[in-house]
Amino acid sequence: MEEAKRGWDEEPVSRRVFVGSALAGSALAAAAGVFYPLARYLLPESKSGGGKKETYSVALNEVHVGEARFFTFKRKPALIIRKTQTEVVALSAVCTHLGCIVKYHEEAKQMQCPCHGAKYDQTGRVLGGPAPKPLTPYSARIEAGNIVVEEA
Amino acid sequence: MDELKLGPVTLRNRWLLKGFEMLDRRLAIKELLDEEVFNKLAPTHLGIFSCFGGITFFIFLMQIMTGLLLMIYYVPDTNSAYKSVVAITNDIPFGWAVRGLHFWGANLMVLTVMIHMGKIYFGGIYKAPRELNWVTGVALFLLTMGFSFTGYLLPWTQLSYWATVIATEAPGSMPGLGPLTKSLMLGGPDVSQITLSRFFTLHVIVLPASALALLTAHFVQIRTQGISGPM
Repeated sequence: MEEAKRGWDEEPVSRRVFVGSALAGSALAAAAGVFYPLARYLLPESKSGGGKKETYSVALNEVHVGEARFFTFKRKPALIIRKTQTEVVALSAVCTHLGCIVKYHEEAKQMQCPCHGAKYDQTGRVLGGPAPKPLTPYSARIEAGNIVVEEA
Repeated sequence: MDELKLGPVTLRNRWLLKGFEMLDRRLAIKELLDEEVFNKLAPTHLGIFSCFGGITFFIFLMQIMTGLLLMIYYVPDTNSAYKSVVAITNDIPFGWAVRGLHFWGANLMVLTVMIHMGKIYFGGIYKAPRELNWVTGVALFLLTMGFSFTGYLLPWTQLSYWATVIATEAPGSMPGLGPLTKSLMLGGPDVSQITLSRFFTLHVIVLPASALALLTAHFVQIRTQGISGPM
């Protein structure tokens, strides 16, 4: 009981010590605010697992035949299209015209860009509209019941 | 010695005291610090506009530091320059911050230099015995312009390319020395890799070294001549 009674007011912290610690704390925080970005800037390979190749995988039964699934790959939107039972395609979903995100139209089996109407087929080839290049392809394969996407 | 008074500051920490004593015994810095830093009082007639020289110097130091950081990733090659700037901005952690500080610092520095020069000009502070400091100041202003001009080309964008074309055409149309000046700036008949390389060299070595030398002269003169009196 004796121990529990000892409150913070028994040994008051002097104003000098309090202000001093507050100052030191702020100075440390400010220094961290400079040195943390500096360290990250100088060690950029730590941003995505030390330059390891990025992969993405999803269970095969989550993507039905004819459907598409959008995901984030290399910090940009991408999509997987399951063309048939055994055929999958992975593409960047960034329109090559001005960088909008393309939509997948299941009935038409096309990707269409909502911004300026660029059209791509299921393999990313340009069918019409202002797109100058096909969508960037990634390599996709079916492996043990999963769809695995890697950089092409 | 268990405490040391330096103007308003009192040192009590044992290690700081030991370190200071060690330096003072060899360099006699106590007297110097007392005279030049801690007991040196600023005149009371100084206002906000008297700060802009110091603000400019602060921004200049920031430019040196962010510039060094940018130089680590920037590639002064016509094929890679733009790509490396895009990578700094989008891929390298906090690269956007470093480039942003350098970009806005550059713009702000021109502004603060102008305000500083306005204060010196309209306050008549350039008058004797400070005429030579006005001269080094104008030279520093021209160096600032040189920094802006050479730095503008480095990202190798359409904007920087054509800005350099135009800004070298202008002196190129001078009578007499025009064509020589232009080909000296460009290193050839048009803006090319050679131009990028010499602008880069000017921007990261020649101009900073000249600016540091002139700043030293600028500050030494302030110390010898003192702050000018009130208007």
